[in-house]
Amino acid sequence: MYDLIIIGAGPGGVAAGIYAARKKIKVALIAESFGGQSLVSADVQNWIGTKSVSGYDFGKMLEEHLKAYKDDIEIIEGERVNGVEKLDSGFKVKTNAGKALETKAVLVLSGSRRRKLGVPGEKELDGRGLAYCSICDAPLFGGKDVAVIGGGNAGLEAVLDLDPYAKKIYLLEYSDSLKGDPVTQEKIKKNSKVEVWTNIKTTEIFGDKFVEGIKYEDLKTGDKKELKLGGVFVEIGAIPNTEFVKDLVATNKYGEIVVDHKTQRASVEGIWAAGDASDVLYKQNNISAGDAIKAVLNIYDYLSKL
Amino acid sequence: MVKIYTTPSCVYCKQAKEYFQKNGVEYTEVDVVRDEAARDEMIKKSGQMGVPVIDINGQIVIGFNQKQVEKALKK
Repeated sequence: MYDLIIIGAGPGGVAAGIYAARKKIKVALIAESFGGQSLVSADVQNWIGTKSVSGYDFGKMLEEHLKAYKDDIEIIEGERVNGVEKLDSGFKVKTNAGKALETKAVLVLSGSRRRKLGVPGEKELDGRGLAYCSICDAPLFGGKDVAVIGGGNAGLEAVLDLDPYAKKIYLLEYSDSLKGDPVTQEKIKKNSKVEVWTNIKTTEIFGDKFVEGIKYEDLKTGDKKELKLGGVFVEIGAIPNTEFVKDLVATNKYGEIVVDHKTQRASVEGIWAAGDASDVLYKQNNISAGDAIKAVLNIYDYLSKL
Repeated sequence: MVKIYTTPSCVYCKQAKEYFQKNGVEYTEVDVVRDEAARDEMIKKSGQMGVPVIDINGQIVIGFNQKQVEKALKK
């Protein structure tokens, strides 16, 4: 029986793992890979204490830091948790590799994944000019007109990733203004290659073998039009990875685990959550790490009273 | 023979190459940004234009899916 099982190895999972290992409790961490969603970021400039680091190196940094404690924490890498079951005392955590571990406490730090548009053509053209990883695939769109759908930070970053390659970049935002950091917005607005369109609802992605364009509605005028494109990058936010506990704990309408923000406790005793899997207002690496640590400290108090 | 089609900035490509190195799998790498012929070849083989694409003795794996890669290597 474990004292604690930590699910996830983004900044939250790793922070929790380090704190739990240092508390010398019997702890395991289960994760598919290290780094979280920043793994595909070209440059992380706001991880406190580090001026600039690529997403890939950020993941490596986290991995190395946690593995420095490998004698005090069991790390189960390359597996995904697909169920948490309540027992008479404690919980059973199951993985897609068939493992089942029993534990007194569970800390969910499973983060989130990309949201899809849900429009015609999206499925058919996935990978065929419709891309989700701009840092990976931007170089393949040399000389092309492309669109980035979504004006949050990820959308702005996608524009920067595409800038050295694409001929023209349309940044399409559904609401009436961009949402990403003003410092990046300014950079993008100065770029003559980029056109920012707001109040744009994408209604279809079309193309025969590869993306040829999108259909959209201008929400201000009600006009329905087409835009010819050689590529489309979608960055419209995220869906929390919480399916494996959704029958066990309370979640909000977005699927985020509802927690007490003073302690990170979920609605069921023995389960904690933090980071993007929780209903925290701001989804940030630094906040995930801090909230995850808060959870471990509270779990430690909880375990010592059992 | 293992051939991986990559772009220099692609993190999943790096993960795949690390996996090959760790497990002693010999591979050749082509950068599809510099090599246009290789880019066309990759698109033809995989029917799509995302990296990485890994050709393991004719079996095509799109993205770095460790389980699929292991399976293809065993054959």
